[in-house]
Amino acid sequence: MAEEKSILAVFSDLEPAANAIEHLRSLGIHDDCMNIISGIPVTEAMLGRPSQWTNVPRIALGGAILGFLGAGFLVFVSPYLYPYPIQVSSQAFVPGPPSVVVLFEITMLGMLTSTFLGVFLDSLFPSYRPMKYVPEISDGKIAILVECAVPEEGKVTEKLRKMGAESVQLAEAQHL
Amino acid sequence: MNSKIPEIKLSEEQTGKWGMVIDQDICTGCQACVAACAMENNLSFVGEVDAGYGRSMHWIRIERFWEGEYPEVKMTPGQPMMCQQCGSAPCEPVCPAFATVHSQAEQLNLQVYNRCVGTRYCANNCPYQVRSFNWRDYVRPEPLPNQLNPDVTVRRMGVMEKCTFCIQRIHKAEDKAKSEGRELTDGEFTTACAQACPANAITFGRIDQPESLVSQLIRKHGHGVKHLEELGTLPSVTYFKGG
Amino acid sequence: MSDQNKPSVQGTAGHHDHGEEHFREKHLLLDPLPRGEMNAMVMESMQTTSWRFWLVFAILSAIVVYGLFYKWGVLILKGQGEAGVMRPDYWGIFLVNTVFWIGISHAGTFISAILRVFKAEFRRPFTRAAELMTTFGLVQAGFSVFMHMGRVWLAYWLFPYANQRMLWPNLHSPLTWDLLAITTYLLSSTMYLFLPLIPDMAMARDRSTGWRKTFYKILALGFRGTEGEWTHLRNAMNIFAFAIIPVMFSVHTIVSWDFAAATRPGWNSTIFGPYFVVGALHSGMGAVVMVLAIVRGTMKHMKYFIRPEHFEAIGKLMLIISMGWAYFFFNDYLVQWYGGDKWTKQLLHFHEAGPLGWMWFAMLVFNVVIPWSVLWNHKWRSSPWLIFFVGLFINVGMWFERYIIIPVSVTINRMPFTWRLYEPAIEIPMSIGTLALFILLYMAASRLVPLIPVWEVQEGQMAHKLTRFGRKTVVTVSELE
Repeated sequence: MAEEKSILAVFSDLEPAANAIEHLRSLGIHDDCMNIISGIPVTEAMLGRPSQWTNVPRIALGGAILGFLGAGFLVFVSPYLYPYPIQVSSQAFVPGPPSVVVLFEITMLGMLTSTFLGVFLDSLFPSYRPMKYVPEISDGKIAILVECAVPEEGKVTEKLRKMGAESVQLAEAQHL
Repeated sequence: MNSKIPEIKLSEEQTGKWGMVIDQDICTGCQACVAACAMENNLSFVGEVDAGYGRSMHWIRIERFWEGEYPEVKMTPGQPMMCQQCGSAPCEPVCPAFATVHSQAEQLNLQVYNRCVGTRYCANNCPYQVRSFNWRDYVRPEPLPNQLNPDVTVRRMGVMEKCTFCIQRIHKAEDKAKSEGRELTDGEFTTACAQACPANAITFGRIDQPESLVSQLIRKHGHGVKHLEELGTLPSVTYFKGG
Repeated sequence: MSDQNKPSVQGTAGHHDHGEEHFREKHLLLDPLPRGEMNAMVMESMQTTSWRFWLVFAILSAIVVYGLFYKWGVLILKGQGEAGVMRPDYWGIFLVNTVFWIGISHAGTFISAILRVFKAEFRRPFTRAAELMTTFGLVQAGFSVFMHMGRVWLAYWLFPYANQRMLWPNLHSPLTWDLLAITTYLLSSTMYLFLPLIPDMAMARDRSTGWRKTFYKILALGFRGTEGEWTHLRNAMNIFAFAIIPVMFSVHTIVSWDFAAATRPGWNSTIFGPYFVVGALHSGMGAVVMVLAIVRGTMKHMKYFIRPEHFEAIGKLMLIISMGWAYFFFNDYLVQWYGGDKWTKQLLHFHEAGPLGWMWFAMLVFNVVIPWSVLWNHKWRSSPWLIFFVGLFINVGMWFERYIIIPVSVTINRMPFTWRLYEPAIEIPMSIGTLALFILLYMAASRLVPLIPVWEVQEGQMAHKLTRFGRKTVVTVSELE
């Protein structure tokens, strides 16, 4: 692969941004070479982008299963680990209804904790390395980050300008 | 059809191992049992102020009430109240730390002092209100420490405690019988409260052995009452009143 | 977004409508400002502190140091005897406070999760203000539980791990369930507070300098707002919104089981679970309006974000919850009364005619009479200060309710020989200390954390439009997701 340049074009509106994406595609730039950075959640459908893959629900399910297994260990195994079985009141050694409570709580804990960690894993958080970004984005702008081969840079920049970008610049990774 | 309907299980049919019989008609309310228990089990002296505020540290107490309207008042017979060593104790399952559990061997309700973290749920859930909490580290003035019973742990602040049916005496007697290669006989030993009772109102022994004195007394009186039996706690103490 | 996308009157351009100005004035989501301006407002509100703020902050810090830390030290050194607990009131104000603070914490989840699931748009500006209450309320609840323990230095024995002889905690105990439930709730509500905060932290990072820059940079985790990041975040928030609701219900239900599972007259009630949950929401919503009224009255620019419409909407919820509370209270009362158990009868009589009978009646007035007589009126419940006082009364009333359920009810048990009335001692300064710590944490957070989820407000403003149907202008909301 030849050397690549990345261009960051800032749009203030959805419509021109969506149009620009379409035109970039007609220039032969693959969707994988574009990324959208925005200050509010702009759905893929709004910009005509392929839908994003996320592992968060799977990680959540995995966490729920782990939590359930952990709770199962606590409920069904841990009482047997003590050498002398402990009797309390006339309750069964592994009591029914209390086990349900414990299974529920720890399953939920596993699920919610892993959902949270899933965001970290999927988004590679935390990351304090320099990144391509402009602060205007958190003012509600939509930025298109295009990776293209060096010879195409001029063409792409011109296209983005024509489509109504507020600013088009070579993206430099900087400390946020 | 009828075979599908279970038969009722009466709690009287289920017996523990150790039990107590208290004859309220001959109890004089002298409090000797209370004093003997305190000496035997190394109870703290909480002092006047705390005792007056419901923090008395007694494993056994004599309850008496005024009955009737003035001027026609009389006192009810003394009712010694201590841990009833329930067969199905409400205090046991609620402890998060397993500090109070059921002894399979002795059918007693145990209190494990060094597991206790002081949530006081057991005391709250005890329908007999017989558990005592160490609200403070109480001072034991000299020379009283010399009187401490070496067979019994001294409890510290923040720990729950209660009547153990003098489990140290039970174990001592059982160990002695075992070393002599014989069975424990009825009346070989007794609890501190029963030993101290001048009227012999308290009798301690095996309620699961039909020939023991307690079983005979229960049969003889025939109208023993177990307190708050309706809660399904299966208490091991039987009271006689108005015989 | 640009102005064309704003939910503004442009949708109906060409018609001059007097109603439109009125809509804008009334509804935050129809009164959009450019995002940059909103960001600046939120940043400014965080960075502005008056001398009054620092005065209150200093006073509260002093109360926390004395009432919470010093007195707690005394309590630990000298034992629970310093408190008013005794036989038969083994449980006192510390557990009243625990239940109370867990109740407060329910408001945050109710508002941010249930209202999010049902897409109640009025929630947008104050979800975070409510979630902060959840986290800080749970901190107080945790403190209160530990204050209550006789040997708090061994509290870690309750955690699910074995001692050296492989003895694990007792899973039969409602207190163990409580520990698991409160831990789950504290962790998950904190995570749920943090997730929607990440974009706002990034916003704050982009427009701050100095130590704040470092602070926000660390907490923003390097968030930029890429498609992937938003997708993961939205998915996670969705899972949280649904999953945290049963957790929230389970927490207060399990708290109620601490009482309902006990063999005590007045406690052993099957309806305690939902009764406690509704009670929790009652005090929680009351606390939310109090916090919002104070935030609106004292912080810069908050009058734009938090408007009478929001108090109006919460007021309606409060009225419904108050009715729910009255329903459960009456249900519990009637069945206990009808049952005819002699101890329960004694207890009910003691509630109403005992030395704390005034508290029982005050509870009913504060929890039912006052909310019902104020909140039915649209104008009254839109008034921040009026509803602030309704919230205050509800919170006092709900504290009374817990006080009646715990130390007052345990006075009456099946052993009349032990009956005795509880007299609080060291609990009073320590309770004031926890309250002060809650306010202190909240004050600190209000200056460190963007209190308004700006991106959620902007999203809501995009989704709202005015549409004309014939002669009438109405608000329409689009579902963006």
